[in-house]
Amino acid sequence: MTLIGDGARLVDVASGRTLGHDELVGEVARAAEAFSALPEGVLFARVPIDLPGVLRYLGAFEAARAVALIDPALSAESLGKLIARFRPGAVLAAPDALPPPGYRADDDGNWVRTSPDGVAPHPDLAVLLATSGSTGAPHFARLSRHAILANAHAIAEVLGLGPDDVAPTSLPPHYSYGMSVLNSHLARGAAIAIEPSGILGRPFWDAVSDTGCTSIAAVPYHYEMLRRLDFDPSRYPRLRTLTQAGGRLRPELVTEFDARMRAAGGGLYVMYGQTEASPRMATMPAEMLAHKPDSVGPAIPGGQFGIQLGDGTETTHPKITGEVVYRGPNVMMGYAEDAAGLALDDELGGVLPTGDLGYLDEDGFLFVTGRLKRIGKVFGNRLNLDDLEQAARTTELGIEIVAAVPADDKVVLFAEGVAADVCKQASRALGERLHLHASGFDVRSIDVVPLLASGKIDYQALTELI
Amino acid sequence: MEIEQRLRAVFVAALDLGEDADVETLEYRGIEEWDSVGHMTLVAAIEDEFDVQLDTDQVLDLSSFKVALDLVRQLRG
Repeated sequence: MTLIGDGARLVDVASGRTLGHDELVGEVARAAEAFSALPEGVLFARVPIDLPGVLRYLGAFEAARAVALIDPALSAESLGKLIARFRPGAVLAAPDALPPPGYRADDDGNWVRTSPDGVAPHPDLAVLLATSGSTGAPHFARLSRHAILANAHAIAEVLGLGPDDVAPTSLPPHYSYGMSVLNSHLARGAAIAIEPSGILGRPFWDAVSDTGCTSIAAVPYHYEMLRRLDFDPSRYPRLRTLTQAGGRLRPELVTEFDARMRAAGGGLYVMYGQTEASPRMATMPAEMLAHKPDSVGPAIPGGQFGIQLGDGTETTHPKITGEVVYRGPNVMMGYAEDAAGLALDDELGGVLPTGDLGYLDEDGFLFVTGRLKRIGKVFGNRLNLDDLEQAARTTELGIEIVAAVPADDKVVLFAEGVAADVCKQASRALGERLHLHASGFDVRSIDVVPLLASGKIDYQALTELI
Repeated sequence: MEIEQRLRAVFVAALDLGEDADVETLEYRGIEEWDSVGHMTLVAAIEDEFDVQLDTDQVLDLSSFKVALDLVRQLRG
C-alpha cells in the first residue's frame, strides 16, 4: 500500500507548480530510487516545509526505507549526537558543513555513511519521530508502515476527507501532527498546498485563498493567534474545517472557534493523540462539540480506549478516572534509543499506556483530565517538568531550588532567591537548550519555594500564585 | 523621543535582542527570535507603546522593522 492515493497532488506555492497524481508518483519514484541505493541503516531526512522536503519524506516512505524526520533547525551539535547514536545510512539534505567521521558528502547534498557500522532497521519500520520534550537525550518513536497507513485512513475517515480537499502546511512535517496532515490528505487523494510562512504570514493566507484550502490544522497557541487576528473563516469560502491537536485548547477558545466555524458553515474538530500513536487516537465530531465541549471524542475507527486503575485492572465503565490506555493498529512498535534499537521488533503489541489521566462517558467519549507524570506544554511541545527543573539547575546561573508549574501553553519556573536578570538569562538558556522560544519559560524569582509537611514542593500553592 | 527610537526599543525588548542589534534590517522569520511567538509579543508591545490597535491585515503585513515604522507613523499621523 502506498501513501499516495488516487488523485493526490502537491501544490508548491513558491514556484506556482502543481504536481498532479502522475507527476507526483513519478517524482516520488525518482527520489525512492535514489534512496534505495544508499547504505544500509535508517535515513535521516531534514524536512523543511518545501517541495523537496515533502518529496524526501515520501520518497523514503515509498522506497520502504526507515526514515527519521529531522527538524532542519536542529543545531549542528544535536544532529551530530543523533548521527553518532543512530549511525544513519545517510543524512538527506545535510547541513552546509563538513560531514562527521565515517561520512562523505555526495553530489546531491547528502552525507553518506562510508563506515560499515550501520544497523539494518526492522523491516516493518517506516518512520521515526523524535519525541519532543524530554531534556534528556531525545529518542525516537518507531512507527511501522502499517501504523502510518492505518492512522492516515482513520483520520481521513473521521474528517471526511476526499479528493476535493486541500490543506496548507501549517505545521512542519517533522512534527507528528504536521506529518499526519500530509498522510491523511495524500492517502485519500486530496491535495497539500506547500507554503512555509505559517499562520502569521501573509503568504500563508494568500495560499489558503488561492489554492482553495478546505482544512487548516492548528495547535493551541495558533488558536490564541487566530483569536488575536480576529480570524474570519468567511474570508475563505472553501474553508470547511479547523482541526486542533497538540494539547488541550482553553474551553473559551473551543467555544469561540466552534461558533465561528459553524457560523461559516464549517466545523472545529478537537482531537487527541500522541506521537507514539502515529499520532491520532481520538477525534471529536464537530457537530457534537457543543454537547460535549470538554471531550476529545471517541476513539478513531479501529481504535479503542480503556481506563487502567491503580490495581492494574482495566475498565470501560463510565466516569471512572485512571490512566488512559489506547489499543489500535496505529500504536508505535516502541522507542529506539540507539542504532541497535532500530532493529527491534514490536514491543507494545498495539497497546499504548498514554500516561494521561481521564475517563470515558456512557457513549465512549474520552475526557482527558491530567497527566500521571508532571508534564507541561510549551507551544505544543510536551516537557517533563522534573527534567525541566533539572535543566534549570544546570544552567550554571546559580539556580539551586526551582519549581516548574504548567501554565496554559508555557511553564512558570519559580527560582528561589535569584535576581531578575538571572531569571531572564535562565529563560533564554532554557529556550536555547530546548529549541523553543524563550517566552515559553517564564522564570520568576521567589523568596522561598513553599514546601508541604512531607518536605516536598507544594506545587498546588505555586499554581495558585500564577 | 523620536518614534523610530521608541520603535527600536520596542523591538529590542519584545524580541529579546541585544542593545546593538541591527534592528533596522530585521524581517519576520529572518531571525530565530522573530518567529510566530515573537511576532505576537511584538505586536502587543507595539500596541502598548504607541497606544494603537492593529487589525488583522496590519498584523499579517508587519513583516519588517521598516513596515512597522511606516505603520506606526500612519496610525499616529
